[in-house]
Amino acid sequence: MPPAVLVEHVRKEFILRHNRAMGLKTRFLALFHKSKRERREHFLALDDVNLRVERGEALGLLGHNGSGKSTLLQIIAGILEPTRGRVTTHGRIAPLIQLGVGFHPELSGYENIFLNASLYGFRNRDTQKRVKGIIEFSELQHFIDTPLKNYSSGMQMRLGFSVAVHLQPDILLADEILAVGDQPFQEKCHERIAELRAQGMTLILVSHSTQQVQRFCDKFVRLEYGRLVETGDVKKNSPDATELSINEEG
Amino acid sequence: MQTPTATATGFARYWQYRDLVRNLVAKDLKVRYQGAALGFLWSLGNPLALILLYDFVFTHVFRSDLPNYILYLVIGVLHYNLFSQAISQSCESLTGAAGLLQKIYFPRILVPTANLIFTLALWVVAILILIVLYPFLGGVYHWGLLLYPLALALYIAFIWGLVLTLSVLNVEFRDLKHLVEIAVMFLFWLTPIGYDLNTLGTNSRMIVDFNPLTEFMQIFHSLLYQGTLPSLSSVAIASAWTAAALLLGTFLFRRKARGLVEEL
Repeated sequence: MPPAVLVEHVRKEFILRHNRAMGLKTRFLALFHKSKRERREHFLALDDVNLRVERGEALGLLGHNGSGKSTLLQIIAGILEPTRGRVTTHGRIAPLIQLGVGFHPELSGYENIFLNASLYGFRNRDTQKRVKGIIEFSELQHFIDTPLKNYSSGMQMRLGFSVAVHLQPDILLADEILAVGDQPFQEKCHERIAELRAQGMTLILVSHSTQQVQRFCDKFVRLEYGRLVETGDVKKNSPDATELSINEEG
Repeated sequence: MQTPTATATGFARYWQYRDLVRNLVAKDLKVRYQGAALGFLWSLGNPLALILLYDFVFTHVFRSDLPNYILYLVIGVLHYNLFSQAISQSCESLTGAAGLLQKIYFPRILVPTANLIFTLALWVVAILILIVLYPFLGGVYHWGLLLYPLALALYIAFIWGLVLTLSVLNVEFRDLKHLVEIAVMFLFWLTPIGYDLNTLGTNSRMIVDFNPLTEFMQIFHSLLYQGTLPSLSSVAIASAWTAAALLLGTFLFRRKARGLVEEL
């Protein structure tokens, strides 16, 4: 059986543009003024990254800010193109880089559910079959016909999370979004993730918290300055929390 | 149950997202007419006001000898409006959707396409004016009218090509929309909307002939105003422009779409 996600020799360079010329006018002026010219700098975000995530596996992507973990997630999600190398995925991916992508403040919660789900490639009639479960899970029954602009940010995140976990993705890519709402709701989210995992969902979780990774993942990899520096089994390498957190310090 | 798969290729990949386009268009319509009791009727106001204004200008200020002049004018103004609204909106369609594009993958071409469909939806209301007024303004019913949907489809395809082109270019050149606004203003007068092509002098005729919209207007005017079939040369030139616009738009999109997100 092919792996759910296969990342082969992925390299990602960004071009940092200082003083970026945003329009035709600036470009024209740059012909005469040196100070208005754009300076370019290459930035290597990922360097020869290889990963293999089997179906049903949960992988934690650890690393400090700027280590390239979110870039890697965006490449797996197909949002960014790798400069070199390739990514092969099997199954439907739900990237949860931000909760409630495409939510519009003027639309009601109900309408936003359909808009959000269709961004994941869902037909409205398929969303219709899940909409009851989504509303129930979000605990927003009383507000579902209210425009989203009247929701608190916590309520919006609850709705976004609820949509994402009801779309039954084969692969869930989560970028530090598991802290949603208050304590009871967080527990519910964690249960739901565990439930989906038990059904065979693959999970890739980006985090800088080892506790979170320990809680949800079987394996972890650590990125530093765009390189994979450590790969391991969560259970084997760290029977308790302390050992992994010692690693983190180093 | 149909669930989307990553394996779908080509057209199937876009088709699977058809409800996304539908939802985006519905969102724009809802947001636009939020709280407006008259809702859709508002989109009648603008073209009606324009027609009254141009009618005043062209019958009282500049005299025209065309019979059923208002019909001639209404056809031109309405069809030009479709072009100008679609083109003006296209510039910001990708840059305005940056928040979506950076967070999730879906075929990028659907964003400007949904914008065009939104413009079309508003325009369909405006074209009702023409349909209702058609017999009163001196329009004739003839079999050639059956060709109108084809002519309109050609026109929309031409506009779609330009919309794709401009939406991609505006990511790189953010002030493109100001140029486009000016161009749309000039093009109005370079298109036979308020005047007849045959009344022009040789020099101005040459410029106007070079405007792709001229051929489309000629087609619409023959079908809806003169009650004849459009000349083959008009159809051929209009088709050539459409093919060129589509090629350019899809080529640019294919080349740029993947790297687009980093530029937003």
